[in-house]
Amino acid sequence: MKVQEEYERMVAMLDNLGADQYPLKEFNVIGRRNVRRLDGIEKASGRARYTMDVQLPGMLFMKFLTSPYPHAEIKSMNTKKAEILPGVRGILRYDDPELPPVADLGGHGPTAIKVIPSIAHFQGEPVGVAVVADTEDIAEEAIRVIEVEWDQRPFVLDAEEALKPGAPLANPDDFPGGNVEVEHVEGLGDMEKGFADADRVIEFTARRLLHTYVSPERPCGVVRWNGNYPEFWLKHQRPHEGKRTIHSWFGGIPMNRIQLHMLHQGATFGGWTQFAWKQGPDYCAALLAKRAGRPVKWSFSRRDDFYGGSMDEGYYFFKIGFKNDGTITAVRVEAHFANPMWEGFGAGTHFEDNTRIPNLDAPRKVVKVNKGPNTAVRCEQLPNTLAFTLAFDRVAAELSIDPIQVALKNDGVRGNDMTWVEKRKKELGFIPRDSLRECLEKGMAAMDWKNKWHRPGTKRLPNGRMHGIGFTWTHEWDDSCGSGEIAMRVERNDGTVSILGMRCDNGVNAETAYCQIAADEIGMRLEDVFYRPQVDAGFFPMCPDSSTNTSVNGWAIRHCARLLRAKILQAATAPRAVTQRGSFPPFFPNRKPEDLDIKDSVIYVKADPSKRLPVAELVGPSAEAGPLGFHELYGAGRHPFSVPLFAYSYQVQLCCYGFFRPKWCRQAHFMEVEVDVETGEIEVTKVVNVNDVGKAINPETCAGQQYGGSNMGVGRALFEEVVHDPVTGVMLNGNLLDYKIATIGDCAPVDTLLVETGQGYGPYGLTGLGEDIATVIPGLLVPAVYNAIGVWIYEFPITPERVLKALGKI
Amino acid sequence: MKKTTLNYLCPYCITKFDTFEELKVHALTEHKGEPVPLAEGMIQLTVNGQKYQIRVEPEWTLNYLLHDKMGLTSAKMFCDRGVCGSCTVIMDGRPILSCMKLAIECDGKVIETAEGIADSKHPLIETYVKYHCMQCGYCTPGFITTAKALLDRNLNPTEEEIIEALEGNLCRCGTYPQHPKAILEAAEILSKSQEGK
Repeated sequence: MKVQEEYERMVAMLDNLGADQYPLKEFNVIGRRNVRRLDGIEKASGRARYTMDVQLPGMLFMKFLTSPYPHAEIKSMNTKKAEILPGVRGILRYDDPELPPVADLGGHGPTAIKVIPSIAHFQGEPVGVAVVADTEDIAEEAIRVIEVEWDQRPFVLDAEEALKPGAPLANPDDFPGGNVEVEHVEGLGDMEKGFADADRVIEFTARRLLHTYVSPERPCGVVRWNGNYPEFWLKHQRPHEGKRTIHSWFGGIPMNRIQLHMLHQGATFGGWTQFAWKQGPDYCAALLAKRAGRPVKWSFSRRDDFYGGSMDEGYYFFKIGFKNDGTITAVRVEAHFANPMWEGFGAGTHFEDNTRIPNLDAPRKVVKVNKGPNTAVRCEQLPNTLAFTLAFDRVAAELSIDPIQVALKNDGVRGNDMTWVEKRKKELGFIPRDSLRECLEKGMAAMDWKNKWHRPGTKRLPNGRMHGIGFTWTHEWDDSCGSGEIAMRVERNDGTVSILGMRCDNGVNAETAYCQIAADEIGMRLEDVFYRPQVDAGFFPMCPDSSTNTSVNGWAIRHCARLLRAKILQAATAPRAVTQRGSFPPFFPNRKPEDLDIKDSVIYVKADPSKRLPVAELVGPSAEAGPLGFHELYGAGRHPFSVPLFAYSYQVQLCCYGFFRPKWCRQAHFMEVEVDVETGEIEVTKVVNVNDVGKAINPETCAGQQYGGSNMGVGRALFEEVVHDPVTGVMLNGNLLDYKIATIGDCAPVDTLLVETGQGYGPYGLTGLGEDIATVIPGLLVPAVYNAIGVWIYEFPITPERVLKALGKI
Repeated sequence: MKKTTLNYLCPYCITKFDTFEELKVHALTEHKGEPVPLAEGMIQLTVNGQKYQIRVEPEWTLNYLLHDKMGLTSAKMFCDRGVCGSCTVIMDGRPILSCMKLAIECDGKVIETAEGIADSKHPLIETYVKYHCMQCGYCTPGFITTAKALLDRNLNPTEEEIIEALEGNLCRCGTYPQHPKAILEAAEILSKSQEGK
């Protein structure tokens, strides 16, 4: 308990509203609608540049050999034919003497692995050799003429098969003892007592099949050496981590000699841009670029990209005890995950974070199979939200009561009820509000829940289809852990403010939100604040990783803006300069900083607003004699100027998970479907998203994450499945014709509703939502379809075939 | 010493002549008034209102020509081939997938890309920004070109017609609901400005 107390003490120090001594009384652009996107024109006109668009003089192209077999070792390789192919400029083999035994290729922490392995553990794995050539076609041709003698090994594709005694070992090189990489145990309370207290106990099993990212811009990178030092263009979700990794290569490259560019990112959606399997190519490209003396670009094909999958693939075994009034007394959910690259969270965390259920048990096995690596695909909470939805809706159905009532009955935090929740919120400085109830009220009204909800399988529509409706809920989790640093400066000549900090812009419009915060906090017009996150200025705000964005960076931005504002007011009331000619009086003589305010980028005296000075005039113009524009040298008069105005701040945020900070904001989602029982076709006809975001900085951006996530989620639930041939282990549908994602024609109307209770851990009590909706929505299809046809379908995606099977028609 | 023989080839019909004078007479009598033919591998294109003469290789796609050679990076590769609509450009008034068209087939064609649409101050650009039709933005130019081609042939589209037109454009961020709003508003602005004329 000592550790727990220590964490609580740290939480109290870092959190939250208590530390917020200077709340803004009025918002100007924060929370306003119709705030223009910073990246809008760039992206609409096609002039936004992405890593895939980079072309450099003399640039070569790199391609990898990929394994044709799901499990095989290279016995020998003959690259002679490739070497003499015109246009081939370099070949890097697995046995190249310049390759280290292992190198740090990134991951959640430093990960030492082979840069080019000679053993493939899945079909499609980059293995054996990389080639650079004048064109992509020549590089591909060179790969084709390389002769490889393979030693094929037995393979296994399915987690349950891999657990059977005598199953082939998926990776005997790293896991000779069996296919279970690691087993985790987590939970609380007393399971035996929990089930004994229950009126009823049910058991069922669910399965999620493999699905993937489909980020529009494929994994890629460009590298060039300028003398001894490299310049990288990365497609990467974490530039700070990419730089750290590069720093460790080739005997160590000084951090200050690495030049990094993070252009717009054609979305990332999760963890694998920073994982080793993707950074091997960056390493090889750098090595080959150095040898060839020319820049090198590499990219995965769309098919190559399909080998990175989502870490919710696997089996879920449920055992749930509950009372007749809907009170859940115990939940056991055991998960067997196929190939997660890191351990993740399992399937029990949301029961812990969201409910008063006192007895929980969520063991999980990480199982190796011969398919590509799985990691967070918007996002690692998929197993949790799926388990949460299936459990709650099943309990409600077993009792034939409204699932809304079951949610309200069990809302709480880590076994504690709502009385405890209210008390704890107050202790942490929040003004308590019942987030779930507020979400439900809004959502139920928008969906017309009371009139539309019905007994399962009882409502046939005039068009002959069965009508169904479903509901689920959970907490907002984008207020998790992370750290971010940021700087701001006032530019000479026009007094505009630049935000400095390199981060991955993958489209969530956070850059605009940061400008809104800075503008309001300093007192600038929004158009006078700009943020270009593609530039490495030596500061790295939190990226959309570790489930965190504005809830961490917002603190740093706000603090930085306040420091800058203080400096501006200080400069306005201090002597402008002390030079050889003497001292020049302040712009606002005999005033103190607190006598002044800034509004619309103009400094003014609060007591006499007619005394005013635009920030642009405070900083003054630059000139021939230097950036401060002071013409004393020539005796040619004097331009006003101030000291350079620069500020820097950071935020280190503790993790919500592990109960270090209980989560207060809730979300609720509703889905309406029509099911054709003759064809098995499901049409989602309406979705309602309600998210308590604490405080919305940019409401349209929040809505964008809601409808965007809903459309992604509906497609995931209905279509998305990566299929492997069980006989050969070869991926069968690694393209967008055979692997369907939602199109505009598949999208139902989405109602996007926000609740703002101010109970998040970000500044202004905000919490993010970018990961949430696409993650929660897929599981919601299960109760909606159950409500339509009266049968549970626990295999994802819910294809027409699975509907017909469930109905006993095939 | 070996004597070098020069052949003079007629650029119009490839007939051989021994002297330049003979070729000149032939060309002026047989091919008078005909436009000078392009050299092998050369095509003429009008892109965003500008005329180009470019030598292309037989295997180049139009997408490769526009994106890699001409720097019109709005034509994006998302899917690999022919599925996602991100590389859509307008050719002779019709939206086409530039990844599925060989450059050499495009001789004499008139092509419009998102850059050109933006430069012509088409209202779609502003309405797209207003309605947040982009998130990561990678697929956005493909939507812009598809939408522009729709408005060029139908200034008063219904929402159903817009959805039908955009069904070949994939957006992984799920911005779909915003596009009809932006296109309808752009159509309204265009209609009003045409009435004004």
